[in-house]
Amino acid sequence: MFRREFWRNFDFFLFGSVLFLCVFGLIMIRSTIAGNIELANYVNRQATFLGIGMAVMLGVTVLDYHYWKSLSKLMYVFILAFLGIILIIGTTSFGAQRWLEVGLVNIQPAELSKIVVILVLAHYFSHNEKKPKNLRWLATSFILVAGIIVPIFLQPNLSTTILLAVIWFSMLWISGLPTKYVVIFGLGGIALGLIAFPFLEPYQQERILTFIKPDENARHGNTYNVEQALITIGSGGLLGQGYNSGTQVQLRFLKVRSTDYIFSAIAEEFGFIGTLILIAILIFVIVRCIRAARLASDMYGALIAFGFATLIAFQTMVNIGVNLRLIPVTGQTLPFISYGGSSLLSLLLGIGLIESVLLHRKTL
Amino acid sequence: MVLSIGERFVSNDQQVHSGLERWRFKVIYILLGIVFSIYIVRLFSLQIINGEAYLQQSEENRIKNISVQTLRGNLYDRNGIVLAQNAASYNIAITPALLPEDEGTREQIYRELSTYIQVPVTNGIVTDKSARFFTPCQTDFGIKEIVLIGDTNAPFSPVNVKCNVNNEIAMVISEKRGTWPGVSVEIEPVREYPTGYLTAEIVGFLGPITAENKDYYEDMGFVAGRDKVGFGGVEYSLDEILLGKNGLRVVEVDAAGKEIRDVQPPLAPVPGNSIRLTIDTRLQAAAKTALLDEMNFWNTWLNRIQSQNGVVIAMNPKTGEILAMVSEPTYENNRLERYIPEYYYNQLSQDPLKPLLNHGISAMHPPGSVYKMVAAVAALNEHVVTPEQEIPCPGTISVVQKYSANDPGIPREYVGYDRNGHGMCNFVKAVGLSDDIYFYKIGGGFENDVPNGGVGVWRLKEYAEALGYNRPTGIELPGEVSGLVPDPTWKRIYRAENWSTGDTYITTIGQGYVLATPLQVLQSFAILANDGKYMQPTIVKEILDSDGNVIQAFKPKLVWDLTKDPLIDILDENNKPTGQKRVIEPWVIKYAQMGMRRVVEDGTATKAMAKLEIPSAGKTGTAEYCDNVAQEKNLCQPEAWPAHSWYVGYAPYDDPEIAVVAFVYNGLEGASVAAPIVERVLQTYFDLKAIDATGGFE
Repeated sequence: MFRREFWRNFDFFLFGSVLFLCVFGLIMIRSTIAGNIELANYVNRQATFLGIGMAVMLGVTVLDYHYWKSLSKLMYVFILAFLGIILIIGTTSFGAQRWLEVGLVNIQPAELSKIVVILVLAHYFSHNEKKPKNLRWLATSFILVAGIIVPIFLQPNLSTTILLAVIWFSMLWISGLPTKYVVIFGLGGIALGLIAFPFLEPYQQERILTFIKPDENARHGNTYNVEQALITIGSGGLLGQGYNSGTQVQLRFLKVRSTDYIFSAIAEEFGFIGTLILIAILIFVIVRCIRAARLASDMYGALIAFGFATLIAFQTMVNIGVNLRLIPVTGQTLPFISYGGSSLLSLLLGIGLIESVLLHRKTL
Repeated sequence: MVLSIGERFVSNDQQVHSGLERWRFKVIYILLGIVFSIYIVRLFSLQIINGEAYLQQSEENRIKNISVQTLRGNLYDRNGIVLAQNAASYNIAITPALLPEDEGTREQIYRELSTYIQVPVTNGIVTDKSARFFTPCQTDFGIKEIVLIGDTNAPFSPVNVKCNVNNEIAMVISEKRGTWPGVSVEIEPVREYPTGYLTAEIVGFLGPITAENKDYYEDMGFVAGRDKVGFGGVEYSLDEILLGKNGLRVVEVDAAGKEIRDVQPPLAPVPGNSIRLTIDTRLQAAAKTALLDEMNFWNTWLNRIQSQNGVVIAMNPKTGEILAMVSEPTYENNRLERYIPEYYYNQLSQDPLKPLLNHGISAMHPPGSVYKMVAAVAALNEHVVTPEQEIPCPGTISVVQKYSANDPGIPREYVGYDRNGHGMCNFVKAVGLSDDIYFYKIGGGFENDVPNGGVGVWRLKEYAEALGYNRPTGIELPGEVSGLVPDPTWKRIYRAENWSTGDTYITTIGQGYVLATPLQVLQSFAILANDGKYMQPTIVKEILDSDGNVIQAFKPKLVWDLTKDPLIDILDENNKPTGQKRVIEPWVIKYAQMGMRRVVEDGTATKAMAKLEIPSAGKTGTAEYCDNVAQEKNLCQPEAWPAHSWYVGYAPYDDPEIAVVAFVYNGLEGASVAAPIVERVLQTYFDLKAIDATGGFE
């Protein structure tokens, strides 16, 4: 593995742009601290996670991704148990049982579950590659995913629930889901949404309602954050107000600015040109991941790559969409850039897997 | 575009795994392309098309204009006694954001603070509604609730939990600064009226900026709800001089409202100018005491409430300076220093004696005999009589009351106050004794004694207006009314009745329809005392800047000189102006002065003025009236109407320095009620003058 040829298929463009995004994220997080002492150690923490993440990524790259196949069942059982424990004794943070304190580090099982869902589904779909794409094939995959989705939905964590559902659907799609099912899914999805709405938590309902019909009087209410995000983005103009100089960021009018609304912060400080470049790089990363899926030498590798491409693409689209007030508020972060150790770790692990798929395709 | 980049990156590599269909990737690329294209269009719209508007909003977020409160000018009397000034009031405030994090520590602070300021730790429930109507200093909420509301509205702004604490508590609490973070002592300027009730009718009071005049004051940079403006008296009428100009700081604030820095150099507030009034507080006190004493004396003597309402005004006739102006009853403006208590204001505004009104300028009454000086001057100047001419002045005369030229008329008896009459009267004797019959005759004419209808109502009006009646004097006080000098046209319009011959007779003696304010009456005498020169009455001596430098010195203003400015229209036989005008001859005014001197020397006020050593002149007045108040009490009986008491005097006779009017509502006889008040004021004036001349209190 230390031979030159081994690294020939390594996607340096992908690695380079991901590294760029991560470092840029660190720089932006530094700006968004904006003098808040409570956030002061964010940069160091994120840098630590970036270091660990890079090591994990390289480790996973070198490791033949086929090894993961044998771990699928174990991982699945482990994550089910983990989610079960969390449901019972999880630490409540921000009103949701999303964290479990393990030693010094909070591990977010939702992040772990994304990886597991991708690996398990890739295993399942590649294993059944040659079998007919019938209802049984579909139902089995559904049951596999449901085992993870349901406890997460119950936490409650709607954004991860939707994300996992999207990953499942996109992997179904690329595995050759017949078109008639797509139509059924479309109709079924809408129906499910309408039926599920009354069962959502009040705050989730409220978010959706404020998005559809903003309450004019709610100055400090739910629209405040989104309104401030729009003002922040708009005030960036063409070239932005400059790094560390965005008034709405530095004077903290923009809330949740190191995670959910970091895109708005970038838009204010770097302007239309800056955000355009950022979006271009993000698209490039997504496209390079899909490229890896097309280049993979087997179905398993292709599905892993495509699964992670979906993960990155969906998170990017939802996060920017929320910032631009095009979709309702959900807690989705901007991949590689937003503050959050667990998320960064799992994303870098995913990139490692994709590089592994590229590196190990000749070994077949 | 996005799609094509993606395609190129992929199309370079030919290999696609057999299990994957190319078209499915295409769908994904198209989806990505659509979503990101929408995003870019949206970004373009937000940042480029609407960028300016959002930038504006972001500026509104971060830039705050802070008005820096200016200091209102002070009011002084002519000797520098403070009538209105600013004083510090201590409020205890809490800045929610600066309170300690720990809830236990906060509770501890609330509990300890509560014992000092007598505000409960917790009281009431904060709801949307109660929070909206929350006004610091006027709330029942406990400390906790006030802090909660403050924290929600503006965590970095101090919110008052207790207002107007005394010095000691303010000291104790400001010493606790270190141990009680977030608790502070805020200093608020409040208006202080040290002389209170004594000068309230002149000084007035302040009040909040109301909804009606909010725009006006906000355009000038004042802040509704914080800054106060004049509501009455000089505080109102000279508001613009006193107000000053608020300063302005443009600061950058963060999301919590914390000030970060000044964005522009701050504009310092410009303090208002101070005013030195012409009032002498000592004389004001003497006048008020004299009036109250006199009214109390008669109320006690008669064993009934005869009178509670009166006016005393003192003026320097040579300069127009008002030395004292008492309107009784008035109000305690020192009770309105901080805010206007509703119950007190209601009590004042519903009081039938109208204490909020300055009766010296805002109330008009029949002037009675003091108005005879109009006819006196007119008769001599128009050569209706000569001063030496002796006319019979019996106790009664019979005059034919006619409503038109062809009206055969009904004879009517006109009586003087002395049924025995005064024999034969010349001009000076008639003024001295205030002989009604003499004035009837010269006013409306009588047989061969005064042929051709005497002065007549039209010419009487010319002279009344020349002496300052029928128009506001223009003194710098709010609410001045113009009084009324009637003529036949006025009666036809407002009473739908023709002018009768009798109307002229009673107008001559200041009865009937004539109405005048006490200040107008005083002014007409000041003109005569000052040899026909009408000096603008004023309450403003000097205007001073905030450092006490005089920026506008006193300069007496001559309105007109009757002996030089032709003001009297010469009327033709139909009483229409001929276009020619005449002056009042100086000798006429001399005779008028002689008549008024006779009043004191050997006339109606001789007894009342006996003690005054300085030679004075004056005129009594007993004005019968029948207004709504009297009618309600059924007092308007024929021959026994209620009467107001008037006296106007000035001294020294040969070189007048002071003219004083006293008016007592329903006070009966002028000579016995109003004249003694004037005597006391004149006496005090000369006593004070003597004290000042010898160095006074210094």
